[in-house]
Amino acid sequence: MSEIAWTIELARCGACHAQFLPTDGPCPRCGSTETHLYTASANGQVLAATELVHPAAGWQSPHLLAFVELPGPVRLLAIVDGSLPALGATVTVRREGEVYRARTQAPPAGPPV
Amino acid sequence: MSVHVASVGTGRYGKRPEGLIDLAAEAANLALEGIGRKPIDLLIAGTMLAHGPYGTETFLPRIASRLSLESASGFRVDSASGTGGMAFHAAAILLESGRFERALVVAAEKMTDQSTAIITRELAASLHSSEVAHGATMPALAALVTQRYLQRHHLTTEVCDRASVHARAMAARNPNAHFQKPVTAAEVASSRPVALPLRLLHCSPISDGATALVLERGKGPATVLGLGQGFDALRIADRADLSSFTATRVAAKRAYESARLTRREVEFVEVHDAFSPFALMHIEDLGLCGPGEAAEWFEKGWVLPDGRLPVNPSGGVIGRGHPVAASGLAEVGEVALQLRGEAGRRAIARPPKVGLAQAMSGIASHNFVTILGREAP
Repeated sequence: MSEIAWTIELARCGACHAQFLPTDGPCPRCGSTETHLYTASANGQVLAATELVHPAAGWQSPHLLAFVELPGPVRLLAIVDGSLPALGATVTVRREGEVYRARTQAPPAGPPV
Repeated sequence: MSVHVASVGTGRYGKRPEGLIDLAAEAANLALEGIGRKPIDLLIAGTMLAHGPYGTETFLPRIASRLSLESASGFRVDSASGTGGMAFHAAAILLESGRFERALVVAAEKMTDQSTAIITRELAASLHSSEVAHGATMPALAALVTQRYLQRHHLTTEVCDRASVHARAMAARNPNAHFQKPVTAAEVASSRPVALPLRLLHCSPISDGATALVLERGKGPATVLGLGQGFDALRIADRADLSSFTATRVAAKRAYESARLTRREVEFVEVHDAFSPFALMHIEDLGLCGPGEAAEWFEKGWVLPDGRLPVNPSGGVIGRGHPVAASGLAEVGEVALQLRGEAGRRAIARPPKVGLAQAMSGIASHNFVTILGREAP
C-alpha cells in the first residue's frame, strides 16, 4: 500500500528549478515568476513544533505551529490541527485559503494517488 | 577605518515614565557631554515603533530640533531590532567618506506604554507576512528555531536556562540594565511557558530606553576595525538552515575580512540574545566556537568576565532589556565602553584590545557585525 494518502499542489521554478510553497508567489530562491505547478505527496515530517500559550490577537487556543518538510525537500510553516506532534512525526498538509494546515491523525479515506 | 567611538551615552533601560524623544535626548545629551559638546555635523537616528500621534517618519526632525542640531545633515535608518547596528554602520561609513567630521548616532524605543498584545503584533512586522498569516509571533518562530538547534546538537533546554542565568548575572552588574536581580536556573526552568521550549525568562523583556554614540574621524581606544552585514530569507521556512543564523555568519565573515582579523583575535563579544539560546547560536555563527560547542562554554564559565571569551558583559538583550531599535547600538556601545576603560565595575578582567558587537533584525533576517579595537590616536 502506498504511503501517499493525500496530494498537495507545489511550485517549481522555471529558472532555477527550486521547489516551493506557497505556489502563488515568485521563486523564493531566485525571484523568477516563471513557475510551474505540480502535484506531490502531502505527507511530510515535523521538523519542529510548538504551542503558543498566548496566541496572537484573533487566534484561539490551542494554537500550534510546526515547520514541516515535504519531499523535495520543500519546507513550510503550518498550523497544526489536533495535538502537538512529536519531532519527526508524519503529518498530512493541506492548503486552506492563504494558510497551510497539518494534522497528525490518519486522514479519512480519500482519493488514492 | 579611520573612525572611532569618542563617547557613549545611555540612560537606564526598563520601565520609564518619559516619552520617546525625552529618552533619546537623555542618551544624546550624555554622549554630547562626553565630548565637551563639540560640533556635530551628522545625525543618524532610528526607532522602530514610535507610537502615539507621531510616526517614525518624524523621529529625526524632532530629535534634531530637541538637540539644536538643525545645521547637521540627518538620516533615519530602519531595521527593526537591528536598527541600532544599522545606524552605527551608516554613521561610520559616512564619516569614512570624508564628508563629515563628527556624528551623533541615536537609537531609542518607547514600549511599556502599550500592552504586550499590541507590542507582540507590532514586533511581528519584522517577520514575513505569510508566516504572520499563520498566527506566527516572534517567540513562536524563535521557539521553532531553538528546537531545531537543540535537536541538531543533542542539547536540552538546560543550556537555554544557563544562558538566561548568565545574562541576568551580568545585568546585575550594570546599573543601566532593565533587570537588576540575578535569577537561578530553577527559576528560569519553572517560569511560565511562552512557546515551548521557550519560557518567560528565556525571552527578552519589553523595555523603554535609548543609547547614543558620538563617532569621530580619526583613531582612538575604540576604533572601527571592521563592519559586515548579512541578509537571510525573511520567510524562515525558506532558509537553507533552520538551526543556525546565516545572516550572522555572512556578516561575521565580511567584518573579519574588512578588519583583516581572524576570529581568534576577538577577545569579548556583545551578541543579540533576544531569546537566550540565540546567544549560543550567535557565538557559534561568529566562528568563536564550533557548532554545538557554545553550551560547554557557558557551562564551564568561559563566557564570564574573567573567562576566555567574555559574552555580553552588559547583560545582553535578556538582562539589559530590549528597547528594540536601541539594542543594536547598546551592543556597540558596550564594546566601546570596555575598550575605553569606561565600563566601571562590569569591566572584563583583562583590558581588551579587540571586541565584537552583533545586532539582529527580526529573527536574523538582516544582521550586523561591528569590530572595534584599541588603536593609537
